[in-house]
Amino acid sequence: MFHHTPFRLITLAVVLGGLLIATLTAGYFGLEILTEIMVLAMLVLALDLVAGFGGMISLMHGALLGLAAYAYAVLTATLGFDPAPAMLCAILITGAVGWGIGAVCSGSHGIYFIMVTLAFGQMAYSFVFESAFLGGDDGLGGITRPDLSAIGVDLNDSMSFTLYALICLVIAYLFAAHVLQSGLGRALVGLRENEQRMRALGLVTWRVKAHAFGLSGLIAGLAGVVAAQHIMYISPDLLSWTVSGEALVVVILGGIGTLVGPIVGAVAFVVLRHEISAITPYWHLFVGVLLIAVVMSRANGIFGFLEARLEARKAKPKTKAEAPNA
Amino acid sequence: MLEIKNLDKRFGAIHVTKDVSLQLKAGERRVILGPNGAGKTTLFNQLVGELTPDKGKVILNAQDITALDVPARARAGLSRSYQKNTLFDGLTCRENLALAAACQTGAVRSIFRDAMRNKAVREIVEETAELVHLTPYLDRRVSEISYGIRRQLEVGVALATKPLVVLMDEPTSGIGPEMSHAFHSMINDLPRDLTLLIIEHDMDLAFDVADSITVLNYGEVVFDGTPEAARGSTLLRDIYLGSWEDA
Repeated sequence: MFHHTPFRLITLAVVLGGLLIATLTAGYFGLEILTEIMVLAMLVLALDLVAGFGGMISLMHGALLGLAAYAYAVLTATLGFDPAPAMLCAILITGAVGWGIGAVCSGSHGIYFIMVTLAFGQMAYSFVFESAFLGGDDGLGGITRPDLSAIGVDLNDSMSFTLYALICLVIAYLFAAHVLQSGLGRALVGLRENEQRMRALGLVTWRVKAHAFGLSGLIAGLAGVVAAQHIMYISPDLLSWTVSGEALVVVILGGIGTLVGPIVGAVAFVVLRHEISAITPYWHLFVGVLLIAVVMSRANGIFGFLEARLEARKAKPKTKAEAPNA
Repeated sequence: MLEIKNLDKRFGAIHVTKDVSLQLKAGERRVILGPNGAGKTTLFNQLVGELTPDKGKVILNAQDITALDVPARARAGLSRSYQKNTLFDGLTCRENLALAAACQTGAVRSIFRDAMRNKAVREIVEETAELVHLTPYLDRRVSEISYGIRRQLEVGVALATKPLVVLMDEPTSGIGPEMSHAFHSMINDLPRDLTLLIIEHDMDLAFDVADSITVLNYGEVVFDGTPEAARGSTLLRDIYLGSWEDA
């Protein structure tokens, strides 16, 4: 079950504090990278909610992110909605679509679940790619950011926007943590552990899966809206399965089923990508080697590795103390 | 409380349940005996809805539950424990019991409140832990407790849904004689208003806890009566080769 251990809280505080300090000190290019980290972190939080805690490995979270981005773009740039209600609508639409897909996929497990989500994701990608209304492969531009001038904030300023993205990330984390500590979150973990027993206890399993997917869709929706507001131009690439695959890599790299780990993974992934791609275009190779090393080490990602080391250190003195009595 | 009417099930040419009819009164403790392959677990699977019978009816507390699925039957008051532990291995004993209790109280449906902090859930957990002698192990993970304690938890999870009828599939399966004896007392100490249907291969347990005994052989009820009558039955002696007489 999800619990906030002291180590998790400290890691979260360090990561979020680090992101805040970096935001306040970075230049334009640095702020772009930081916003990229925050969008990815929100997406992987959404994925960890269903994959890490519900055992539902999804290859369509990129499509959910893209759906929210397109919904926001259409509502603001095409239909002339104000950014705030458009944001809310885009997030709710993504949540509703997530709920529907979760309900449809709830009967499948393992590789079949992955394939069904992949199929949904690719259907969304193909639809957007072919749709003239959505700009086809040219994408959509003219996306506006929310107007916060009433409180003296100009979101067209890079630092203000990055701080805004950081606040969205904090909201996404708090929301995910709240869901996981709710009755529904507990049921979700029960389903991951033993679906047959949960059914025998009277749980309507499809409903829990659909709710979890819908709530995860809300977080992915927030990530998509911030992504659209960030780049102010969107293309079908946002819905590509590679975005979903990348999110899954980040979740595993950071530590699946820990909620904090995927945020650590998002920071590590984006920083590595920018640092290594500055040296060589083959940066994927390095990330691939790192992922293989993480998986082969049997540690639960970077965060899981650190957490396990800490627990092992805690357990050591206890073993020594017990040894003379043994 | 529980009525099974002419339940019948075939797997191809194999007739696993032959026109089985049973009636359990409220608070009755009935043990189902039978050799391996007699169809005992298959009968349980049909009662809880994991298998659909070819014909027949299952009536719980005057309600026909034959058409209901597994979760709906559980909510109607039919709970089961499994022959092989079917627990939430990564969780603590407390969390295992709390999940079951939260399913019963509906706390699992809330996205606003933590089911683990729900007062009703916590009370059921404490009460059930006491019933199955798990209080000292509540904060231990399932992976950290012995097999025997897991068997107690297996029964505890079934009880934490506050059922009307509990089906226990070989609750003492795989545990030693000493622990088995403690298990008998534990079952005997359960509230008398709870209706129990127990599959058991352990004759001692059967005679220790049963108000009535049903024997299945090749999917058919071949004996239905009191433990005393079962002890004197030549038919049963033939089926079991006199195993409890020799013991």
